[in-house]
Amino acid sequence: MAKVRKSRAASLIVRYLILGAWAVVCLAPTLWFLSIGLRPRVEIITPQPIYWPTWSLDAWWKLWEQWPMAKYLRNSVAAIFGSVLIDLLLAIPAAYSLSRYEYRGRDDIGFYILSTRMMAPAIVAIPIFFLFKNLQLLDTIWALMIVFAAINLSIVTWIIRSYMLDIPKELEDAAKTDGASDLRILWEIIVPAILPGIITAAVIAMIFAINEFLFTLLIASTPDAYTLSVALANFTAGTDGVIYNSIALVAFIAFTPVFLVVIAIQRHLSRGLTMGAVKG
Amino acid sequence: MARISLTGIQKKWGEFWGVRDVNIDIADEEFVVFLGPSGCGKTTTMRMIAGLEEPTEGEVHMDGELMNDVDARDRDVAMVFQGYALYPNMTIYENIRFPLRMRGVPKSEQNRQVRSAAALVELTDFLDRKPAALSGGQRQRAALARAIVRKPQAFLMDEPLSNLDAKLRQAMRVQIKHIQRELKITTVYVTHDQIEAMTLADRIVIMDGGLIQQIGTPDEIYNDPSSTFVAGFIGSPPMNLVEGVLAGGTFEAPGFRVDALPVAHSGKVKLGFRPEDCTIGGDAPQVSGTVYGIEPTGDITYVSLRAGEKLVEIKTDRDYRADLGNRESVTLDTRRLCLFDAATGTRLR
Repeated sequence: MAKVRKSRAASLIVRYLILGAWAVVCLAPTLWFLSIGLRPRVEIITPQPIYWPTWSLDAWWKLWEQWPMAKYLRNSVAAIFGSVLIDLLLAIPAAYSLSRYEYRGRDDIGFYILSTRMMAPAIVAIPIFFLFKNLQLLDTIWALMIVFAAINLSIVTWIIRSYMLDIPKELEDAAKTDGASDLRILWEIIVPAILPGIITAAVIAMIFAINEFLFTLLIASTPDAYTLSVALANFTAGTDGVIYNSIALVAFIAFTPVFLVVIAIQRHLSRGLTMGAVKG
Repeated sequence: MARISLTGIQKKWGEFWGVRDVNIDIADEEFVVFLGPSGCGKTTTMRMIAGLEEPTEGEVHMDGELMNDVDARDRDVAMVFQGYALYPNMTIYENIRFPLRMRGVPKSEQNRQVRSAAALVELTDFLDRKPAALSGGQRQRAALARAIVRKPQAFLMDEPLSNLDAKLRQAMRVQIKHIQRELKITTVYVTHDQIEAMTLADRIVIMDGGLIQQIGTPDEIYNDPSSTFVAGFIGSPPMNLVEGVLAGGTFEAPGFRVDALPVAHSGKVKLGFRPEDCTIGGDAPQVSGTVYGIEPTGDITYVSLRAGEKLVEIKTDRDYRADLGNRESVTLDTRRLCLFDAATGTRLR
């Protein structure tokens, strides 16, 4: 009995050691970034290793005083959340149609939607620039929202569709005979049933949107529409050279909200990512 | 409540026939059971009554009104599904209330009706739970409550008890029959379980390969099967079917000789007899063979007898015991014998 208990304790220790090591691997870059952001610029670019760093919030204060960080942050949040909202409003009905209705070319349409994701963004960069120029939407948050939404719509539709396929058809049949219309079935039965999938798709769209750079750079030409990812570029192109500690801090600011959202919805996310994998 | 009439109903997917030429009139308040093996078309036929499937050909009428173009949600039928199909995000109360809400029933009335339906299936104490927190039997009762809450024109039940264990199934059978009689609602019930069909139905519709094989009361189906398929499908153990030759009213096969059969037919036939229509021994036995196996079940004993090349099942007294290989002779109740054409399997009368 004591032997079994000992081996169990040993296996637990090994497990924690492996998980601990993995946690260090995952967290090290983030903490390293944070440490770069909280040290004076001179100290960062010194070639000799520094074992006892000097901590300072100078870069942090400079960031907010010299750059319109609040505006960049606001732009990012508005563009990202707006785009995710547009994606969900369009993708949920589209996925419902692709997963539930029988019509000619349904699978082809599904594949076409997904294939837009496979296209190199540079191919459509110029046409999109002229499109927004003609629509007089250049340098606006609205344009960013539309572009982010368009980029992510295919993946969001595809993810939600895969969750919808896992919902037993009996549920819909029951709702139909209970007197529900298609729209009510969608919003009252299907959407709550695949909520983990919708959250997963929204978080993935959010991560893609926060990392989007090319189209933002193309559309945003002034700080009015700059997002955090484009703002980062500002710190490499000025007369001051590459400002590493500012870059690190902005990257940290961009990373933190997504990290917190993922932590908050972890339960849904893990369920969502595995829910579509195996048919019940 | 409603009369349901299916006329020339066909369902085809590509080259595959799901249902072929189904014609049946279901009377008001009648309990009809569609019985058959998997893939025989019974569920498809029910789904066409519900409006969940469109017939390729034929007409569905309810109370004389053509229903083919009426949407499922407007047909006023309530369906109970094999997998219960309870809405997982809603409590049992909300599940039962859902059809009332969809039909715009006033809120105060909704509450009264939900509680009354829940009381009928003894679920009052579980109304605030989610389906996942209920046992299989409770979920089934919740699905039943959702169906009965709005007093529909017809109940459609698609193998509603197949996920339950035998004991619970028996209890639910009684409950379903009681509720149907109490509410007097026309009911169509699909199952592949012959016990369910025999105990619940006013009439049974036996289907195979998309075709109706026989329609009749449970007694008619059991005692007077129209084909070898029906004879072999109903009964546990099923009817014994022995192939032999009929000439001048005498049936002969290895181990069998049955005289004075009232059939003018001659040639190859199949003789059918139920295990309980045999008596071991007797003055003028028609079957002789050796005991192949004995299965005492407590209340009766099943004997397998090898007669010629054929194994026949006999239901006999619970005290019967014999050594394997013993010779036995059997007397058949000739009033209950059935003869079928050996080639087509149809009944010879």
